[in-house]
Amino acid sequence: MALTGRAGLLAALGIAVVLFAPRPGAALAGVCLLLAAGVLVDLAFAGAVRPLRFHRSGETLVRLGQRATVELVVENPGGRRVRGLLRDAWPPSAGATPRTAEIDVPAGERRRIVVTLAPTRRGDRSSAAVTVRSVGPLGLAARQGSHQAPWTVRVLPPFLSRKHLPSRLARLRELDGRHPALVRGQGTEFDSLREYVVGDDVRSIDWRATARRNDVVVRTWRPERDRRVLIVLDTGRTSAGRVGEAPIPMAGAAPTGGGLPTGPDALPTPGWPRLDWSMDAALLLAALAARAGDRVDFLAHDRAVRAWVSGASRTELLSSLVSAMAPIEAELVEADAQAMVAAVLSRAKRRCLVVLLTDLNAAALDEGLMPVLPQLSSRHLVLVAGVSDPRVAAMAGRRGTAEEVYDAAAAEQAQLGRRRITARLRRHGVEVVDAPPDDIAPALADAYLALKAAGRL
Amino acid sequence: MSVQTPAPQAVESSATSPTVRSVWRSGRGIALVGVLVVLAAVIGLLISPDRGPARPLDPGDASLSGSKALAELLRDRGVTVDRVDSVPAAAAKAATGDRVLLITDTAYHDEFALTRIPGDRVIVGDLVGLPVLAPGIRMEPDYARARSREPECGLPAATAAGSAYLGGPVMNGPGGATACYPAGDGHLLVRFPYGGGVTTVVADGGFMTNQRLAEDGNAALALNLIGTGKPVTWLVRPDEPPAVDLPGEEGRSMHDLMPGSIRWAVYMAIIALAVTAFWRGRRLGPVVAERLPVIVRAAETVEGRGRLYRARRARERAADALREGTVDRLVPRLGLASGAGRHEVVAALAARTGQDPQQLGALLYGPPPADDPGLVALAGHLDAIERQVIEP
Repeated sequence: MALTGRAGLLAALGIAVVLFAPRPGAALAGVCLLLAAGVLVDLAFAGAVRPLRFHRSGETLVRLGQRATVELVVENPGGRRVRGLLRDAWPPSAGATPRTAEIDVPAGERRRIVVTLAPTRRGDRSSAAVTVRSVGPLGLAARQGSHQAPWTVRVLPPFLSRKHLPSRLARLRELDGRHPALVRGQGTEFDSLREYVVGDDVRSIDWRATARRNDVVVRTWRPERDRRVLIVLDTGRTSAGRVGEAPIPMAGAAPTGGGLPTGPDALPTPGWPRLDWSMDAALLLAALAARAGDRVDFLAHDRAVRAWVSGASRTELLSSLVSAMAPIEAELVEADAQAMVAAVLSRAKRRCLVVLLTDLNAAALDEGLMPVLPQLSSRHLVLVAGVSDPRVAAMAGRRGTAEEVYDAAAAEQAQLGRRRITARLRRHGVEVVDAPPDDIAPALADAYLALKAAGRL
Repeated sequence: MSVQTPAPQAVESSATSPTVRSVWRSGRGIALVGVLVVLAAVIGLLISPDRGPARPLDPGDASLSGSKALAELLRDRGVTVDRVDSVPAAAAKAATGDRVLLITDTAYHDEFALTRIPGDRVIVGDLVGLPVLAPGIRMEPDYARARSREPECGLPAATAAGSAYLGGPVMNGPGGATACYPAGDGHLLVRFPYGGGVTTVVADGGFMTNQRLAEDGNAALALNLIGTGKPVTWLVRPDEPPAVDLPGEEGRSMHDLMPGSIRWAVYMAIIALAVTAFWRGRRLGPVVAERLPVIVRAAETVEGRGRLYRARRARERAADALREGTVDRLVPRLGLASGAGRHEVVAALAARTGQDPQQLGALLYGPPPADDPGLVALAGHLDAIERQVIEP
């Protein structure tokens, strides 16, 4: 049950009545009885909440940064009209609007309420409850009850780096298109035969085919296809650190300092976790590799396997990837590199390109990955990609005052450690991509294209 | 393929609010316990004897500070004990014959009216208006701790009783007074003739209480002092002390001026407040909890290290880091291998920039700067050298 503002107003009017009545005691009792009678009448004649039925429909998938609509149909099988307020309770980061809606459902009818979700975070968002407050005919009191009307909307990673895809696909076609006219090289395979045109390398003339036809025929080549790419996402503690600037405001982070004027010393917005930037880069790489005809598998790992996508066809690869990535959050534990390498080795039987998206943190890599790296790099081509922190780079550059110089020294030390671990990884024959958050996706795509052009896949 | 897809969406809804029956079923145990506790408290209150607040030296009070025991002893010896709580009542008793007036409290009594009551009187304690009741008594500035004391005087009532538990303000009687139980510069019991009777002043009534009566010669002293055979008028504090009210103009207090309905209106206001509070306080549905991700900026460790350097003024480490960073960036630019020694670096740098190798050596590998301005200058020099190499 619940009371309304009208009941409070009536009680407040009762103060004046009691004050000026000739017999205040009796007036008090009268006002209270009147109020109680009104409340009882309302409770008795308000439309019942318990028998209400709810049906949902609408979207179940939405990209972060976009809006989803979920419809809620309220069915009133009872004998009385249900009039009042309805709240569809979603978690705060689902960004559900409206928060409450006024409903008026006559007996035996149904009404539809549209809830718009503007999520601020990846992951699954479920409706917690639907609560209805049904006000009685006098408007003094209401019946209230909650229902479970489950619905889950999966918020997918936004794949912001898809704007880089056309340019990289063009380079891929360039790669593709350059080869048929050129000599056979490393990492190429036989594509087709075509007529000789002036300018073609005479060494690529296929004499056997030429003999069979009346024309000079040359062989053309194209880059290798059907290579395997295994994208490994490190979801350990280092991936929780936030870098850069969040392209989509996160829940809990005031986008502009809550409207307050922010001085130059104000802390910057915390940005996006490394994990999300890595996912963005992984999606671009996967899209590119799928177009290039390679097979892409995906593994998310910290101390155990968090997600594993394998054997997805070219068309459904991206949708399976974003769906697998959506619920992954950075775990606040140290990643277990040994278990990760074991998981990779048990899943990738044939040689493949292992793209490890992690942080190039000297201490974490020294203890985790470095000892087990030879097992991996001996069987596979390994590419380690790390998101660097532009804030550290900015700190290293500011050297005006003594305080800034101390900060710059700390930043220099961090960058030095990063460069040293990069050099050590390269000495192990590992490719390294180290780029700031906005550039990590195109940089990783470029590294992949370079490897493909060099035929190292 | 083990892609996690969203759970299948159920279409049916179910009510989750508790019904009256489920509330009763889950809450009846707690309700039963609550009823039992209330019941036990009520029964305990009902069977316990009705003890009002303690009334010190009252003949009707059986508590530790009362004097019911003494009153009963006196009655056993055939002495009439009449408890009065006002001066007019005491005067009325005095009119019936020769009596002993025992005064234990004068806080609410008019001492001038009391002096007009004839006969023997026993004054117990340092009362308000003692100089009026017993003129000639001199109060010494001393205060004696209550303990067992010997009479050391010629008063038969005291010597017969022997030691007694006495204390309180030290006093001296007027000339011709008998004083017993010496303490400090005076005595704790003074007896002197006054106004046609004998006035006895005892500094403290502790020896008369139910708690102390059985100790030492307390009972004997009290009986000797009070139980002289005459009926006793025992004046105590009024049972209902008159309420102190501030009378306004024409003797009407503020309470009298308020209309009678104000009180009821206040009750109504409380009810209205409760109704409004319930209206505003009732939540529309449950609070939805959410597991939020940790928000930690990746640069925090680096910032923390910078602050540590700053706090400890770690110029040596800071200079090392800056120099190492610069050298690390310069070495590939100078066309040297990554393991190049300091002499090679300095020589290559001097050849590139045309600066004095000695100075460059001191800049890159010299001693740490002595103070903060030195550190800032070092950082500036390193930047300049780097710019010179990168943008010749």
